[in-house]
Amino acid sequence: MAQNKKSNFIVIDDSKLDCFIAEKVIKNTGLSEAITSYVNAIEALEVIRENIAPGELHTIILVDIQMPIMNGFQFVEAFEELPDEVKTNYSIYVISSSINDRDLNRVNTYASVKQFLNKPLNSNTLCALLQK
Amino acid sequence: MTIRDKIKVLYIDDEQNNLVGFKATFRFDYTIFIASDVQQAYTYLKANPDICIVLCDQRMPEITGSKFFEEMREEYPEPVRMLITGYADIESVIEAVNKGHIFRYIKKPWTDADVRSAIEEGKKYYISNSLLAAKNKELQSAYDELGKFTYSVTHDLRGPLLSVIGAIDLARDMDDLPEIRSLLNMMDDAVKKLDEFIRNTHEYYNLKRGKIVSEDIDFNRIIADTTSIFKISGRMENVKFTANVMQNGSFYSDETSIKIILNNLLSNAFKFQRKNISDKFVDLNIKVENGIAEILVRDNGIGIHESHIDNIFTMFYRATSETPGSGFGLYNVKDAINRLNGNIKVQSTFNEGTLFIVSIPGMANGTK
Repeated sequence: MAQNKKSNFIVIDDSKLDCFIAEKVIKNTGLSEAITSYVNAIEALEVIRENIAPGELHTIILVDIQMPIMNGFQFVEAFEELPDEVKTNYSIYVISSSINDRDLNRVNTYASVKQFLNKPLNSNTLCALLQK
Repeated sequence: MTIRDKIKVLYIDDEQNNLVGFKATFRFDYTIFIASDVQQAYTYLKANPDICIVLCDQRMPEITGSKFFEEMREEYPEPVRMLITGYADIESVIEAVNKGHIFRYIKKPWTDADVRSAIEEGKKYYISNSLLAAKNKELQSAYDELGKFTYSVTHDLRGPLLSVIGAIDLARDMDDLPEIRSLLNMMDDAVKKLDEFIRNTHEYYNLKRGKIVSEDIDFNRIIADTTSIFKISGRMENVKFTANVMQNGSFYSDETSIKIILNNLLSNAFKFQRKNISDKFVDLNIKVENGIAEILVRDNGIGIHESHIDNIFTMFYRATSETPGSGFGLYNVKDAINRLNGNIKVQSTFNEGTLFIVSIPGMANGTK
């Protein structure tokens, strides 16, 4: 991705504070267009599923692991079932407070997950991945 | 099982006379099953998993006693096995000991005293073994819970901490006072959640390790204590709370457990309110009658979706992402109710409200 190209963002985290932090950090990079936060992964998935028209901008998804109702792994698994023309518009990053090896190893088993990020999200990490 | 219970003993022998004689001699002291062949023996073992001792003759037409024990041990390892043989057949005894893991070898013709003392010894062995098995099971479940607990601790303790660290980091570069204030409010929630988790952990260990004490329960006082804490924390704001206590006579129970039950049920009722309605209410009704306390907690909050209702008492289970919770509260409630031999029922309609019905039998006065 070119350095100055902007992206849309979807933040999925059951902690409202973590959503807020992510939104702020993303905004501060100056590389974002729309940022949408969801405390419930199912809602996010519905929106992604219905939004099949390929947008001009790529969307970056930051998803937490441990959430009630639908956790981050379940979200990624459901996302991978979506048609390719939908999936291609998104990049998934898993962001968590987990230091559990099983969680970290499991993240690596998903083809659609680009990278695991440690909480709290900070602008250095985010800028680094946006400039990749 | 205790040492005084009448235990079940199974005797297998192809000679009918021996079976009849055995039953006649021991039927007053033990519950005796007699089988003239192995098939019948298996039928008894299947129907009576609590058979404690199996005695078997060595020389039978279709199978030897030691061979039978070797086979039986695979499916029914618990009963204590004793071989009876009239032949000085040292080979078969060695085989029975090594492969059939028999507890005793009884020589034919047996005397009543020999058999009786063998059965009594076997019974002690069986009881201590089953106590050990029960302890092992307890240990395993404690170990499983510890595993779950350690896993969740990284999330439930670390999560709010990392949120606050992230927020502090953001606040450093903020100049807008209202924005900083709203950030502070969110940090406050995160820290409170952490505190709630720690308090719930404390309750959990109180329940697991604490002794149950029989105390005179004054429900009015417990409610006053509990609600005064809610009032300070502002949780009852905009929610109409009514408490009705009908207590005829004394009620004895464990106050710590009762407090945990009431505190969690009320705290949930206040917490899981629908934000957009104006007539929010929480009703508490307690009726003590015939030595049984019935506690009803009703609210018109967000309700519990049908698909979650079977899981609400599971440790760390959370049915909503709208309101923060530790997934610990109702687990503790259920645990406390189990300790008091009570039961809990829940009726709930999503987006309408929830009713918890708890029934607790009183304890004897002053017993521990």
